[in-house]
Amino acid sequence: MRVTLKVRRYNPEAPHPRPYWQEYSLEVEQSATVLDALLRIREEVDESLALRCSCRSAICGSCAMRINGQATLACKTRLAAVAGQDGVLTVEPMGNLPVVKDLVVDMAPHWQKVRAVEAWLQPTGPEPEGEYLVPNEAMLHLAEVMNCIMCGACVSDCTVLEVDPTFLGPAALAKAYRFVADPRDGATKERLGKYTAPGGVWDCTRCFACVEVCPKGVAPMERIMALRERAIAAGYTDTYGARHTLAFAELVEHSGRLDELRLPLKTFGYTNVPQLVGLLPVAVRALARRKAPSPFHKPIPGVAAFRRTVRRARQASPTAGKQATGGSR
Amino acid sequence: MKFAFFPGCVSRGGCPELYPSAVAVARKVGLELEELTGASCTGAGVLQESNPFLGDCLNARTFAMAERLGLPILTICSTCQGVMSQAHVRLRDEAYRERVNGVLAEEGLSYRGQAQAKHLLWVLVEDIGLERVKAMVVRPLRGLRVAPFYGCYLVRPSKVLGYDERPERLRALERLIEALGAEPVDFPGKTRCCGFPILTINEGNAVAMVAQHTLDAKERGADAMVTPCPLCHLNLDGYQVKAMGRVKERIDLPILHLPQLVGLALGIDPKTLRLGRHLISAAPVLERLGPVAVKGV
Amino acid sequence: MGDRGIQQGYDVLVIGAGLAGMRAALAAHRQGARVAVMSKVHPVRSHSNAAQGGINAALTDRGDSWEDHAYDTVKGSDWLGDQDAIEVMCQEAGQEIIGLEHMGVIFNRDERGRLGARAFGGQRRARSFFVADITGQAILHVMYEQILKAGVPILEEWFCTDLIVEDGRCVGCVALEIRTGRVEAIPARTVVLATGGLGRVFEPSTNALICTGDGLTLAYRAGAPLMDMEMVQYHPTTLKGSGVLITEGARGEGAYLLNKHGERFMARYAPKMMELASRDVVSRAEMTEILEGRGVDGCVLLDCRHLGEKRIRERLSQIYDIARDYAGVDITREPIPIRPGMHYQMGGIKTDVWGRCWDPTGRWQGVEGLFAAGECACVSVHGANRLGANSLLDTLVFGRRAGETAARWAQERPLPSVNFPHWRQRREEGIRSLLAREVNADSIARIRWEMGTTMDSFLGVFRDREGIERALHTLRGLRERYERVGVRDKGRTFNTALLFALELDFMLECAEAIAISALTRTESRGAHFRRDYPQRDDVHWLKHILLYRNPNGEFPRIAYLPVTITRWPPQERSY
Repeated sequence: MRVTLKVRRYNPEAPHPRPYWQEYSLEVEQSATVLDALLRIREEVDESLALRCSCRSAICGSCAMRINGQATLACKTRLAAVAGQDGVLTVEPMGNLPVVKDLVVDMAPHWQKVRAVEAWLQPTGPEPEGEYLVPNEAMLHLAEVMNCIMCGACVSDCTVLEVDPTFLGPAALAKAYRFVADPRDGATKERLGKYTAPGGVWDCTRCFACVEVCPKGVAPMERIMALRERAIAAGYTDTYGARHTLAFAELVEHSGRLDELRLPLKTFGYTNVPQLVGLLPVAVRALARRKAPSPFHKPIPGVAAFRRTVRRARQASPTAGKQATGGSR
Repeated sequence: MKFAFFPGCVSRGGCPELYPSAVAVARKVGLELEELTGASCTGAGVLQESNPFLGDCLNARTFAMAERLGLPILTICSTCQGVMSQAHVRLRDEAYRERVNGVLAEEGLSYRGQAQAKHLLWVLVEDIGLERVKAMVVRPLRGLRVAPFYGCYLVRPSKVLGYDERPERLRALERLIEALGAEPVDFPGKTRCCGFPILTINEGNAVAMVAQHTLDAKERGADAMVTPCPLCHLNLDGYQVKAMGRVKERIDLPILHLPQLVGLALGIDPKTLRLGRHLISAAPVLERLGPVAVKGV
Repeated sequence: MGDRGIQQGYDVLVIGAGLAGMRAALAAHRQGARVAVMSKVHPVRSHSNAAQGGINAALTDRGDSWEDHAYDTVKGSDWLGDQDAIEVMCQEAGQEIIGLEHMGVIFNRDERGRLGARAFGGQRRARSFFVADITGQAILHVMYEQILKAGVPILEEWFCTDLIVEDGRCVGCVALEIRTGRVEAIPARTVVLATGGLGRVFEPSTNALICTGDGLTLAYRAGAPLMDMEMVQYHPTTLKGSGVLITEGARGEGAYLLNKHGERFMARYAPKMMELASRDVVSRAEMTEILEGRGVDGCVLLDCRHLGEKRIRERLSQIYDIARDYAGVDITREPIPIRPGMHYQMGGIKTDVWGRCWDPTGRWQGVEGLFAAGECACVSVHGANRLGANSLLDTLVFGRRAGETAARWAQERPLPSVNFPHWRQRREEGIRSLLAREVNADSIARIRWEMGTTMDSFLGVFRDREGIERALHTLRGLRERYERVGVRDKGRTFNTALLFALELDFMLECAEAIAISALTRTESRGAHFRRDYPQRDDVHWLKHILLYRNPNGEFPRIAYLPVTITRWPPQERSY
């Protein structure tokens, strides 16, 4: 089949360097991958095309790039799956990272964040003579997160990193989870404190972009959610993120519907004047347009039975007992 | 076509314009709605953070209510849709569903695993079909350039939202815009995040997202943005003024709910659609469309 | 990367940041030496991460004994392995594994929470410890974490072009910073080469594109000998076409090998061990089936269906993905076509059991201050054939030893005065003139392809004199073409075309060394099978072949070293 790769190029050594598109058309086998095509282009058509690649089998993580606007591994992406009806696909460098040349980006911000979460085991207590004894389920669970090959696809497409480069990001936080969930690590409490600081787990918008693009099924966002859960259980409940989560649950469990008026109030705290004042401009405008929720919040019909169901669900849930309850403040 | 209607929390709270406009459009296109008044919030993904099992119970409860009526569920919110789809997939596991049903038993409810939620967008495009929608248009939105903003939970994770079976859903909103006579505007943020979930946690970032997406759309010629999610609307409309303050640039991009855009084309009057309620005035949209040029009159 | 570090130099400069390299750097750091690691890719991109199956260790509290492991290794090596080195590796394996586990490697566990083992080829006991089927990746990432924790500087994406040798001592290297194209001479009291294998010399190969034998040629040109270069392992289960590897762990879990008649043909070649016989035995068996017309489309079949979906998903999930993504096969439903593919180089830079590329007792000549470990080195523990899951062990045990020894040696030997700018200038000029060459109709890619296919045809599973000589002749022609070919990217920023040209230079030299060594050994042993000398000949050939480079492009000087036998005199090798 014939495919056309529209590749986003950039040469910093050009007299007036700026990104531009270059098209390459070639005849390929039905089972060929995007990397196969790029390597052929490099070998037969244009030796100047710069990209990182090594293992060709989705284990080294070198060849992450945006194909048709979405980050993935080039060696794992079949041309037949991504070439449009006209055989065209776009190939661009990863997002959220500075471009060095063509499809090569500067991964330094990514590695810095891995270091920032202290991504190494911190055992406490005397080392056993033999191995630490840990249940296989725990290790199998960690193996899922260990599948991460640090390719950066999640970093590329994270919607928070797009507007805020100080966010720790999905890759580093998934790595962070790996240590929090390791029974041999002794620094859990301190780690959770660090990861719930500004720029940490509470800055994730839960948009699922990282889950969608991860080529290894690591599901970074789910790990971030797991970190949130553990942080709350460990007592880190005084961030707006934790308070928001707890307030939401409380409000819904109470009346069956979300009370949007009280949610920000409970999140910030009824006496948190600066934050409450900050809400005023939008609140005033909304009120003027009659676009505000009623202060008289109606519960759903049959709310008493509903509340009993909630109670039963809580008792039966696997997280029962690990909940820190948020009170109204 | 009859549906169990699940309006969600925000369509009668922070976006009270959504409920009446959705009901008006549903009536116009021939959908019969029976509202699930006893249903609770889906949890919006936030409840699921602190207690995933409880979240699944609440959604199974809603599904069971719909099953009792023998009707599929209609949603008008991307977030409701996404959360419900995720729950539906998890509840496919029989053993898990049994545990959940154990909790629901006292209310006399039991989920058999069939009822599913479907967003108004997909109902229009798939169940009613774009040809029929087009035929119902009495005021083609000619000259209006509309940027689609899907809302994260309507597009990700793609596996639970039917994109494998129906890849054409990837452009559902654009195709609907075209069928209504308007011109869809492509821009990078159309499937990105609006920032609403972190509004109280990191307002700076949430506002930055609003600025980025509305500006991108505007720079590409959009006269308005349309979104199937009221949470996105709250941010894109409600915080657009703050966004303008942050980037020190005028944006003034009207944000329409999906039923409002559809309603305009179907000849429903703007007052019924509550178009005057937005914080960013929708007046420019009405101006651009000109006096009501009704087809065939 | 601080320029000051580069100017001042290091006590120990490790080149290559795979398992061996990072283990060496960690060990040297713990000895208090000033260490840096250089790698042409980011450490976690190293090819160590492709090792799927496991790492061997005989743990005494399981009723296993290092002697058993050592014997299995000696037999696997077809008695070419040096038994003193094998003893060291097997003795230290247990301590190394526990050390890894303490550093944070996960490892599968048994029902008591202890390390769980599985069976691997060529061994009579299950002693391979593993992490699902990502053992190499899991250990590599933990090594990187430890390097981060220790704060060892990493010269990331630097390509080493030359070793600097003065008066028979290695005193540093010259390297190219890939991103900027600048060339620097870096002083170092010792250099540890841990650059991995040379798989890309063959086509196809399981190896990553970065496995181009850099360290071997660097050492060779510096005056160190290459040993046992003819010992090239073909892995029995690789995908047709791409050569992507299917782990031996599949056979360890019980998968079958079938020919076109659905027959488990290994019964005719290795009746006791069947599919888990040593790799060279299995590869030859497969190749014979294929050549005698019992193959399917140039392949045989690997059948995992009877293992069941649960076991496959839990223990072989990576090969499930590989089969699905690269061959379009669901291994829970169909067998997958595979064939032998070039996989590992048993030979390499000669070292002693401390990782030294010279012999203080003078039995063989080398280069002082130069160390090597991992696949690029040849101690030799693998002899004529490597057992699965011994490579990871090799990299860690000898990586550690090389690092420690280098650190101690460096502490007592300050650098002599060396004209580093001169070395730097020489390489800079070499690169400029390479880039300035006019482009002709030939290309680096074409030369590499011809080299690779030639090597696969004549230096593969079955060899003979005529074929090897043809290969040598072709290689000479390719070298001439190489000296004239132009590079089409003339820039200095991340110029991958330049890198390929430099790598091809290294590869051609390795290819020739393999061919010459294969020509010299007139017997069959382990992975080296000569159709014209099909028997093993312990009378004449219980020795290693060492090659010393002749700078004038002539035939290398050949020397021999007898194999060290401690407890296991040669026996017949049957499975």
